[in-house]
Amino acid sequence: MATDHHDTNTSGAGGAWRWAGVAAGGLVYLFLLLPVVVIFLSAFSPQAYPQFPPASFSLRWFRAFLDNSAWLRALQVSAWLLLIVTPLTTVLGTTAAYALARLDFRGRELLLSFVLSPLIIPQVVLGIALLYVLTAAGLAGSMAGLAIGHTLVALPYVVRTVSVSLSGMDRRLESASQNLGASQAYTFTHVTLPLIRPGIVAGAVFAAVTSFGEVSVSLFLTAPGTVTMPVRIFTYIDQTFDPVVNAVSAAFIVLAVVALVIIERTVGLTKAI
Amino acid sequence: MSRAAGGGSWFPWLLLTPGMVFLLFFLVAPGVLLMALSLRDVDGMLMLLPSYSLAHYASAFASAGYWVALGTTLWVAVLTALLCLLLAWPAAWLLVTTRSRAWRTVMYVILISPLLTSVVIRSFAWIVLLAQNGLVNDVLRKLGVIDAPLGLLWNMKAVIVAYVQVMLPFAVLPLATSLESIPPALPRASLSLGAGARHTFFHVLLPLTIPGMLSGAIIVFALAAGSYVTPLLIGGRLQPLLPINIYQQALQIANLPLAAALSLTLLVVTAAIAGLMSRWQKQWERRVHGH
Amino acid sequence: MSDIDIRAVAHRFGALQALDGVELAIGQGEFFSLLGPSGCGKTTLLNIIAGFIAPDSGSIAIGGRDITRLAPNQRDIGMVFQNYALFPHLTVFDNVAYGLRVRKHKPELVRQRVGEMLALVRLSELAQRMPHQLSGGQQQRVAIARALAIRPQVLLLDEPLSNLDAKLRKDMQAELRRLQRDVGITTVMVTHDQEEALSLSDRIGILGGGRLQQVGTPLALYRQPANRFVGEFVGQANLIAARPAGDGVFEAQSHRIAADAPLRLRADGGGGGDGGNADDGAASLFLLRPERIRLGPPDDGVSLVNAVRGTVREVSYAGAGLHLVVRLEGAGELIVAAPESLFARLPEPGLAVHLAWAPHDLVVLAAERSTAPGQPA
Repeated sequence: MATDHHDTNTSGAGGAWRWAGVAAGGLVYLFLLLPVVVIFLSAFSPQAYPQFPPASFSLRWFRAFLDNSAWLRALQVSAWLLLIVTPLTTVLGTTAAYALARLDFRGRELLLSFVLSPLIIPQVVLGIALLYVLTAAGLAGSMAGLAIGHTLVALPYVVRTVSVSLSGMDRRLESASQNLGASQAYTFTHVTLPLIRPGIVAGAVFAAVTSFGEVSVSLFLTAPGTVTMPVRIFTYIDQTFDPVVNAVSAAFIVLAVVALVIIERTVGLTKAI
Repeated sequence: MSRAAGGGSWFPWLLLTPGMVFLLFFLVAPGVLLMALSLRDVDGMLMLLPSYSLAHYASAFASAGYWVALGTTLWVAVLTALLCLLLAWPAAWLLVTTRSRAWRTVMYVILISPLLTSVVIRSFAWIVLLAQNGLVNDVLRKLGVIDAPLGLLWNMKAVIVAYVQVMLPFAVLPLATSLESIPPALPRASLSLGAGARHTFFHVLLPLTIPGMLSGAIIVFALAAGSYVTPLLIGGRLQPLLPINIYQQALQIANLPLAAALSLTLLVVTAAIAGLMSRWQKQWERRVHGH
Repeated sequence: MSDIDIRAVAHRFGALQALDGVELAIGQGEFFSLLGPSGCGKTTLLNIIAGFIAPDSGSIAIGGRDITRLAPNQRDIGMVFQNYALFPHLTVFDNVAYGLRVRKHKPELVRQRVGEMLALVRLSELAQRMPHQLSGGQQQRVAIARALAIRPQVLLLDEPLSNLDAKLRKDMQAELRRLQRDVGITTVMVTHDQEEALSLSDRIGILGGGRLQQVGTPLALYRQPANRFVGEFVGQANLIAARPAGDGVFEAQSHRIAADAPLRLRADGGGGGDGGNADDGAASLFLLRPERIRLGPPDDGVSLVNAVRGTVREVSYAGAGLHLVVRLEGAGELIVAAPESLFARLPEPGLAVHLAWAPHDLVVLAAERSTAPGQPA
């Protein structure tokens, strides 16, 4: 139980160890936080490079973003993809998670690992494989191709969060519903879905955020007309240095924190990962 | 889990279909086709020929460059995993033992928000930090520690530091879960038997968190072995890493079959090592828990 | 000299005063139980003795040595935890050997001592098993062997048997007592089960609200409870408040023989004692154990004091004995415990009975120990 771990006011020299541990832990968290700090410093800095300590505050890079049509086009592409990928992935993931939770056959664990495998397969491999297949189908560089790639990468996240919700749900409610005469389909839509809504919402948020930030697979699947935000950032960093990227990054991070809050409120952070 | 009587379970099977169809078309099929592609020959202009052979594998394995790339990739991935485990301990310990709910939420936000940010942005942050006129050099110069800016980017050390920072949360979270599941009576029992904090850590806490550590190690290893965006941005094109080679072969040189062969090699080796670690994890669990 | 000396120990958790000025001396080789309801502070006190909690004030000494400031691993104690706390990744042998290896004993000594301990708890054949392969009772015995292997000065037990089922519990209680006598080690056990405490202990300390309500042998606690708290916690009790009515006789208001006739009591020593207030006319609280009440008409044929008539309201049968709840004709109820052999047929509710008891069966209770002495109970 978490609270028991916190009762450590023992006698003796345990205190020294505890302070060392707190210091070490704190340093690690600062290390993790470093890039975020840097990006925010840069995003709001009037200079092209960040200053520490910050000299003044400026929104010019945000304005520059809104003035630049190339960035706005990338934003549009990313937004469209998000709108397509999120519902698609959520539906596929929810149905798959439900099925895997309710069925009982010998290869079930294996099938579950298979569904979660895109998380572990090197994304460079996923990228190439999809590139080849989509080229053969004539879809390389299209929005459809990108949507497929994003869905593939985001699917495991949805399956995971929905599975967590499913395992926390009381199955007897489904039995009760069927007992009362409802069909399995009716039970699913009217009993199960509302009960696992937190997992679905968390999964949808994960899918949206993953799609919006996806780059490793997207680099293989984009064409000049379908450049997403992260892909544009990549090519930009690669070739020039545009401080607008800082502003974009800061916005991304804010989005991530907002997404986190939503996930915490629905499924709870500790269980979603 | 018993099956419901009468009616059977056709409904869950029906629900399973869309996901399975999608994965069949876009995961299985591409995988199979990739294998086929890796065996196709190419002519001098890198156009596909109708014949099949192991030419690409042969040329890859005959070339020292690719062996170096594979070896470096694996070595970097293992090193990253080890460093992540090392740093994960203080972070996970702090997360589990902090009494204040507010601080724990802060720590979770710090751990999880990077996972929701694009990897290109996380890598970019390191460029801003480590560039010649970046933050680290700026601070060091202001403090008078150095006169001229240090060249901190474009080497493998920077790549590894960036890797560790990007993948650390994946090591912290499973370790924290493992730590939390240790009954608090166990370290107390160890103390009551005369063991100090160090002995308790090495003989009780560390062994019992092996499953969590292995989980984290597997994820970090797999991610690091397959990463190319981060090392490209921070280390430059010349880093001897297999994923970078694959990216270049596929998108710049357009030798898809060679890229396919290299990908499959990477995939097989990564899967083998990850599978081995997974097996250790299962063996440990069976020894300690019986299942 | 006492083996464990607890002086003026106090500790609070936030707003709650968990322990308030506890003083206790436990003798060498004694089996001492800390008994009380949940939240009374007994586990806190045990943890303070063990060193897992540093008390706000007070001191602990073992064998004359002040250990209050020592870390738990420096105290030479052996502890058995409520859920056994066996190391799941070590074999039975390695678990028992743990403390010995910490002390860097030679392997031959380790092997010999572990063998001794496992033989003591009768688990020698299971030395190579893993904890998850053992039953609850077996795990408990390994935990005891592990604690004793290091030959500590003191053995601490934190509700060691509470996770076992009833039959196993009885067996383990006997085992525990045998072990403790064989080894002769000073033992402090925390339990909320008064039967367990009564049957195992040389002495018992009853904790209530962070204070020691009474310390004594099981017999003394049962027959001479110091106050209402102890009287009610240990065994069952009939509590009767009665005012002096002259001539050593007390009259109860809550219990009445008839509507206009209060129940009249006469106790040995005239009653009053150090209970209640010194003022005349103030009530004293009497305790009467259910098994002390006899069924049948009074000896002298005249039911003036220490006797009453009533009707059986409820009967509960427990094999060896019966409990009857008897409603008195006037007002109030008394619980009566009678041996099973007394009845040819089980009494039914509605049966009219005579109840009587002797003056020496009544115990006068003092007020509970609260912060201001002399406060009413």
